[in-house]
Amino acid sequence: MTDDNQPRTDGGTATALPGDSHDDDHLPPRWSLKRWLVTTNHKDVGLLYLATAMFFLVFGGVLALLIRAQMWSPRAPGTGVLSAMAYNQAVSLHGLIMVFWFISPFATGFANYIVPLQIGAEDLAFPRLNALSYWLYLASGILVFASFFLGSSYAGGWTLYAPLNIPAFMPSIGATTTVFAIVVFCASVTVGGVNFITTIHRMRAPGLTMRSLPLFTWSWLLTVWMMLLAFAALLAAVMILLSDRMLGTTYFAATTAGGSVLWTHLFWFFGHPEVYIVFFPALGAMAEIFQTFSGNRIVGRKWFIVSMVLVALQSFIVWMHHMFLTSINLEVKTLFMATTIGISLPFDLMVFALIYTLIKGRIRWDTPMLYAFGALVLFIVGGITGVFLGAVVLDYEFRGTYWVVAHFHYVMVSGATGLVAALFYWFPKMTGKTYDEFLGKLSFAVYFTGFNMLYFPLFLAWGTPRRVFAYRPEYVGWHRLASVGAVILGIAFLLIIYNLGKSIVTGDDAAANPWPYSTTAEWAVASPPPIDNFPGKPSYTSGNLEFLDDSATAAAAADGGTAATDGGHAALEPGHGDDVHVDHASIWPAAIGLFTVVTAIGLSGLQVGSFPAGLEGLFYQGASVLGVLGLIGSTTAMGYENFTAHEGGLGEAWPFEGVENTKMGMWVFLASDVVLFGAFIGAAIFLRVAYGWTHWHPIPHNPIPGLVNTYLLLTSSFTVILALVAAQKRSRKGVVASLGLTFLLGLGFLANKAIEWVVLFSEGTGLDSSVRASTYYLTTGLHMGHVIAGLLITAYLIWRAWNGAYTDGNDETLEYFGLYWHFVDIVWLFLFPLFYIV
Amino acid sequence: MARTKLYTGIYVALFVIATLQVGVEQIGLLESSYMLALGLITVFSLIKAVVVAGYFQHLVWEPRSVTYVLLLGFVGFLALTVAASYSIL
Repeated sequence: MTDDNQPRTDGGTATALPGDSHDDDHLPPRWSLKRWLVTTNHKDVGLLYLATAMFFLVFGGVLALLIRAQMWSPRAPGTGVLSAMAYNQAVSLHGLIMVFWFISPFATGFANYIVPLQIGAEDLAFPRLNALSYWLYLASGILVFASFFLGSSYAGGWTLYAPLNIPAFMPSIGATTTVFAIVVFCASVTVGGVNFITTIHRMRAPGLTMRSLPLFTWSWLLTVWMMLLAFAALLAAVMILLSDRMLGTTYFAATTAGGSVLWTHLFWFFGHPEVYIVFFPALGAMAEIFQTFSGNRIVGRKWFIVSMVLVALQSFIVWMHHMFLTSINLEVKTLFMATTIGISLPFDLMVFALIYTLIKGRIRWDTPMLYAFGALVLFIVGGITGVFLGAVVLDYEFRGTYWVVAHFHYVMVSGATGLVAALFYWFPKMTGKTYDEFLGKLSFAVYFTGFNMLYFPLFLAWGTPRRVFAYRPEYVGWHRLASVGAVILGIAFLLIIYNLGKSIVTGDDAAANPWPYSTTAEWAVASPPPIDNFPGKPSYTSGNLEFLDDSATAAAAADGGTAATDGGHAALEPGHGDDVHVDHASIWPAAIGLFTVVTAIGLSGLQVGSFPAGLEGLFYQGASVLGVLGLIGSTTAMGYENFTAHEGGLGEAWPFEGVENTKMGMWVFLASDVVLFGAFIGAAIFLRVAYGWTHWHPIPHNPIPGLVNTYLLLTSSFTVILALVAAQKRSRKGVVASLGLTFLLGLGFLANKAIEWVVLFSEGTGLDSSVRASTYYLTTGLHMGHVIAGLLITAYLIWRAWNGAYTDGNDETLEYFGLYWHFVDIVWLFLFPLFYIV
Repeated sequence: MARTKLYTGIYVALFVIATLQVGVEQIGLLESSYMLALGLITVFSLIKAVVVAGYFQHLVWEPRSVTYVLLLGFVGFLALTVAASYSIL
């Protein structure tokens, strides 16, 4: 169907404007290293993401070539180019790097660059957090790289299955560093997710409703929602794993009932949405490219969006199809087989919409279209071969074989293919240069040939067991064909890099809109766009994209017109042409990234409660101390820094009208924290079920100290409310006194908890005493960590209040802190009965 | 501030419910009727959490979409915990 009644905000005509002056005067020039260390501009951050992801593509690709070299012939341990342990590391890190450090960040690069342009925003809602997200990503990548040089990197497969993941089986410090890298990556994703969700919901141009949002932005919005919730579960899993490795808790110990199944639940609760997290941005880019190069609006646009929403929701109820070979019961396997079949239905609809869009259009086979079409073909193969794995009986046969390897490479690398299409599509916009079309088409021919030579034979050699380099001799031919295909695919990537690299230097200048029939807003501004993106305020209220001058925007806002649709402030925001200075530079995100690396490397040395002896131990302890101090310093400096960002709020904000950006960001963050704590609590409940619910007794002998702590936290929540009331009454003393009481009550909570722990330790109940003790210490310890963080913020607020802040009508900070503190209170309301009473 | 009394009343109610929660254990209901006691304790926790979120975090005065955002996380937690625990029964 067509949606002719809809304003064609992404399906209209993008009229290119004359090139703007590139006013980067708040930033060092592009050739300066300093610019890339301090920039917070979304386009710069996008380029940083893309360049870094490309590096990890090459890194992961080299590991893949080593794997294929080892698989040239069936091997006995100790033969071939890699030792057995080196092969295990190569296989594990190839998977981890490609999934975490290449594909998703590559998509994040495009999203950073393109999404604000598509929605009519000058930048993301929180530019410094955007830079922080990148620097944490880079920090995590440095950690994974460093892990190879700290004994041994992780070598137990990219899924980090238990109990192989604990020190008894994987004792190297480097393996802990790898797990740390994933923790930091999860932090990066969470920070980025909060930012994008706030931006896309709150900073759209007037008239750009959710229904008329460009498909790439739609796909990215759903991606970041999935990321926010799925990565919180992964964060819980890897934090627990770190605790097992560093502190000696016993969640995943071989002797813990249900421990290994617990890992698979936590991992795959993240892992299956991750498939769509990887593929959705590619799908969105493919949809944009199909529209542009067929000259036809996507067929059934509304249903395409509905299907994406359905897939995003359903992705959270299919994870157990990865666990059909574990000891979970048949009923639940059957249920998840049904949900797995169910998720293929909306995907079918999207595939048919893409195909029918082409059938109805006049296709131009430029390089982006070739890659996008190739991605669709490859994805269809990957999707069909995945249906076999969703059926319980067939899965018994295929799981653990190269069928799975072939299937998920067709799915995941088809996503990468879609992103290569996006790279060629948006290259002129991002660089202001055109690429070599002949080389582009040649690279596609080589790419498509290499891809299928590499992965299709693996279906035919499906009887090969995964993760090992020994296989039956009759598969030698297929494996050799695959290895040759790997080299050809590698050459294709080199061709792509050569083409684009050469074009940046010697390519012709690109027009603002080099693609006929492109319709989204990024093509309506110069290539590359100016620092604040637009020559005026973008507006879609007429049904087409227009750029209004500030006086028109202010008038519309003052009239209560469509420019102020969130019912909020009618004041003109900082932006083009007005006098308000908007910042684009901060060094602190990079500093936090640096000290994160130092801290993580230092703490990696902590193995089951102790550092190594001698100088090595001193190195790790020193790095830990230095890193933590650096983190505290740089985080505080970032908090003090005066930084003005675009506020947004003059355009569309459904469904969060009236919720200002920072408050919304806090709520979104808390939603991810709900999943984080939920996964910790869920893990404790799961292990208790596995242990025998009624045989499991609380670790503390007496619930009364816990009750006292409940009183303390409830009272501290009340005093935070009183601080807000005092701020509204403009009472400085009231604010300081209330916050001071909050601080003391929080300290009381910690002191009470410390006494409880000391008593338990003195009785011989340590973290490793039993799985009951492990869950008690770790879950309540995580909560204590939140209390400590809250108290540090409280101390800062008291200092600010003492100096007159919050009583001048600007009490929002108190309210945002309250949201966090009350959440910490709510979590305790569940932890207390679970660990002290029942 | 007009809402100070409301906040105070809620604080007192939370205090009482927390006490009742431990009271369930202290009177020996866990020993005599475990499932009933477990149900009561869970309901008390849920009531407290809803009241804190609703009034102390001002959710009742925010757009309903904010509540849905939090519920999304909570439903995720429930789905993971219930389905995972059921899978090993």
